[in-house]
Amino acid sequence: MTDQDANPEDEEIILAELDDGELVEQMHEDLYDGLKEEIVEGTSILLARKWSADKVLNEALVEGMRIVGIDFRDGILFVPEVLLAANAMKGGMELLRPLLSETGVKPIGKMVIGTVKGDIHDIGKNLVGMMLEGAGFEVFDIGINNSVEDYFEAMEKHQPDILGMSALLTTTMPYMKVVIDEMVKQGIRQDYIVLVGGAPLNEEFGRAVGADAYCRDAAQAADVAPAMVRARQAGG
Amino acid sequence: MSISPQNRSDPGRGNRGEAPARRGRRRGAARRGAARQRLTGARESAAWIERGIPHFDLLNAEALELIEHNAETVLEEIGVEFREFPRALTLWKEAGAGVDGERVRFPRGLCRSLVQATAPKEFRQHARNPGRGTIIGGDRTVLVPAYGPPFVHDLDKGRRYATLEDFRNFVKLACMSPGLHHSGGTVCEPVDVPVNKRHFDMIYSHVKYSDKPFMGSVTHPERAGDSVAMAKILFGDDFVANNTVLINLINVNSPLTFDATMLGAATVYAENHQATIISPFLLAGAMSPVTIAGTLTQILAEALAGMAYVQLVRPGAPVVFGSFAAAVSMQSGAPTFGTPEPSLILYGAAQLARRLGVPFRSGGGLCAAKIPDAQAAYEAANTLQTSALAGVNFMLHTAGWLEGGLAMGYEKFVMDADQANMLAGLLGGVDLSENAQALDALREVGPGAHFLGAAHTLANFESAFCRSGVADNNSYEQWRQDGSLDAARRANVIWKQMLRDYEAPPLDPAIDEALLEFMQRRKSEFEDRDY
Ligand code: B1M
Repeated sequence: MTDQDANPEDEEIILAELDDGELVEQMHEDLYDGLKEEIVEGTSILLARKWSADKVLNEALVEGMRIVGIDFRDGILFVPEVLLAANAMKGGMELLRPLLSETGVKPIGKMVIGTVKGDIHDIGKNLVGMMLEGAGFEVFDIGINNSVEDYFEAMEKHQPDILGMSALLTTTMPYMKVVIDEMVKQGIRQDYIVLVGGAPLNEEFGRAVGADAYCRDAAQAADVAPAMVRARQAGG
Repeated sequence: MSISPQNRSDPGRGNRGEAPARRGRRRGAARRGAARQRLTGARESAAWIERGIPHFDLLNAEALELIEHNAETVLEEIGVEFREFPRALTLWKEAGAGVDGERVRFPRGLCRSLVQATAPKEFRQHARNPGRGTIIGGDRTVLVPAYGPPFVHDLDKGRRYATLEDFRNFVKLACMSPGLHHSGGTVCEPVDVPVNKRHFDMIYSHVKYSDKPFMGSVTHPERAGDSVAMAKILFGDDFVANNTVLINLINVNSPLTFDATMLGAATVYAENHQATIISPFLLAGAMSPVTIAGTLTQILAEALAGMAYVQLVRPGAPVVFGSFAAAVSMQSGAPTFGTPEPSLILYGAAQLARRLGVPFRSGGGLCAAKIPDAQAAYEAANTLQTSALAGVNFMLHTAGWLEGGLAMGYEKFVMDADQANMLAGLLGGVDLSENAQALDALREVGPGAHFLGAAHTLANFESAFCRSGVADNNSYEQWRQDGSLDAARRANVIWKQMLRDYEAPPLDPAIDEALLEFMQRRKSEFEDRDY
């Protein structure tokens, strides 16, 4: 062992000098540390080495965020750190997204998310959006106080896989049913996965309004969402 | 823990009444009845607690001035948004503030001077039972049940969505709890009634099942209007025009934002001379900076902007400086309670409100626990003590709060209401009357004997110590024999007994009918809607 090896923290790492295996491992570390520039750089290096976009996505980014997700769930990583990690992931995704669609690879998923009409609670919704971005989703956050029309407009415009609705008030959560009923009425309910969440909801309420799933927290949403999109893609 | 609701109190009668003079022998049954009542802890409800101890002043003048200065900087430089409510923007323009879109920026000192010019230092909130009308502000503390929970919890049935029946139950329990001075507002959300009509049933339940003061609806300006209309039926138009009979919770959509719902409700109440509690509601870390000084700055800026707005709508309308501050778990974003930082914030905010010269709302039996367990008890006790020492005037969420406000607990309510009695004892302070000096007792007993049989003890023992109706202080064996119940199980027995013992305070049948008629008419004017 050289002195340098004993003190790896002090060492300036040149990403381009790492071999593929080392670079991917380093990217996992960099995601964990929320280093956006490094992730963007690592992503372009791998692409320049003729890695396919979906290989970069899955082996470098998604795998890295999987580790972040585990440590968030276990209370080891804190929200601001996950926010940074998700942001770093987003940086990589921006490079990959056009390539993925060119090669016809199914993206991990798109989600429109917003808080329902009459409700301005958004801390939980923001966390969910962040976690899903971290999971590689393209997230369109349409903010608070959304009417049926707002949701429909956003679905029309972004063509998401998932519609996510958040509500924190018992006076506003029934509005989720208003949105879902309108989707049924217009014959588009089957085109989307509908996920709902918010502290005053529960499993039973999620079923009662006709959602596909209720998510108790952001970490769970980040598990459920990709799984449901995958299942749907597999099912055709 | 039960009290017959007919027992009325003199306003302001604290819990440390004069020691009853002993009047020779009482007749057997009467004596026995009185003693038994004592056993159940029955006491008259006071209308508030009169403070007999100093405030715990955490920050020195220099620190407070720094925060006041910084708050003015926030108001001047960053400003506050008044969203989707053009009337507020017009009023602010006229008052000399800078309006840029929905962002309002305030010349230094403007908000403070508006508040100080016309907002009352304290005000009376009337109740239908005049003896239970209360005063909010000054050296008084008014203890109020928890507000807002969509779920209820009890040991028998667990956690479930609240219903109108639960709502009525909590109004009854609050009515019977001597330590609680107020009936509260949304003591739980009656999810079984359509969203756009449940405010009628909530207001009616407060009127019908309690004679303590209560809160109005804020979830829509129209619902605020209905609350005022129902108050007019109860108190008369003229009375309501000139007196405060409703107090209403207006949360700031922090950071630095007021939304149209809250502004609409605040405006309706201000116009009608009813009280609003302008409450910056901060989960530090998410809705305010992670530091105590930063959060205090934001609280002051937001409260000033909101209270000043109310004064623009109607100069002299009663306002309360509110503060609900918790920290978020940095691991999940979930609110946490009973930790030191929110206590420090609470102490500081109370000082800022006192310097401003308006009543202060904060605190309560806050906790994140799901059930009435040890976490529930110690987190709540931390906040209750802090609120009492800080000098909270209107202590919303005193009883029942579980799960960060998501659930109203039956057992937790009883445990907290029991603590509310204790707070009255603590805040009452130290009696220094001749009787309390007890030199007679010391002379009588002298060295080496005991005080249990002393004349002074006999004359004073009944009211000398706050007695818990929930705690068990018996021997281990006795406790075993009584069923080995923990505090929550004992509380479970108590609330059921209270509901069995409940008697509705009499309500003028003509008023009752008029209220029912009003509700029926209004409810038939529009379709049920669930949002
Ligand atoms: C795929 O889609 C998904 C998937 C998962 C999803 C999802 C969507 N959305 C959420 N999830 C899930 O994942 C998230 C992350 O893990 C989680 O999100 P959460 O949002 O649950 O968790 C967050 C990380 C942290 N939690 C929160 O942010 C909410 C905390 C509590 C304390 C709360 C807050 C902070 C606020 N409030 Co409000 N508030 C309360 C809340 C009580 C509570 N303990 O929940 C509650 C919900 N509020 C209530 C009330 C009454 C109100 N609030 C109001 C206002 C506010 C503030 C503005 C002050 C503030 C919100 C600020 C903001 N920017 O969001 C008012 C209404 C305003 C309006 N028009 O909406 C007002 C009416 C109060 C008033 N009188 O002014 C109560 C509900 C009453 C009811 N019966 O329904 C309440 C339970 C507190 C109480 N006891 O009063 C999961 O639920």
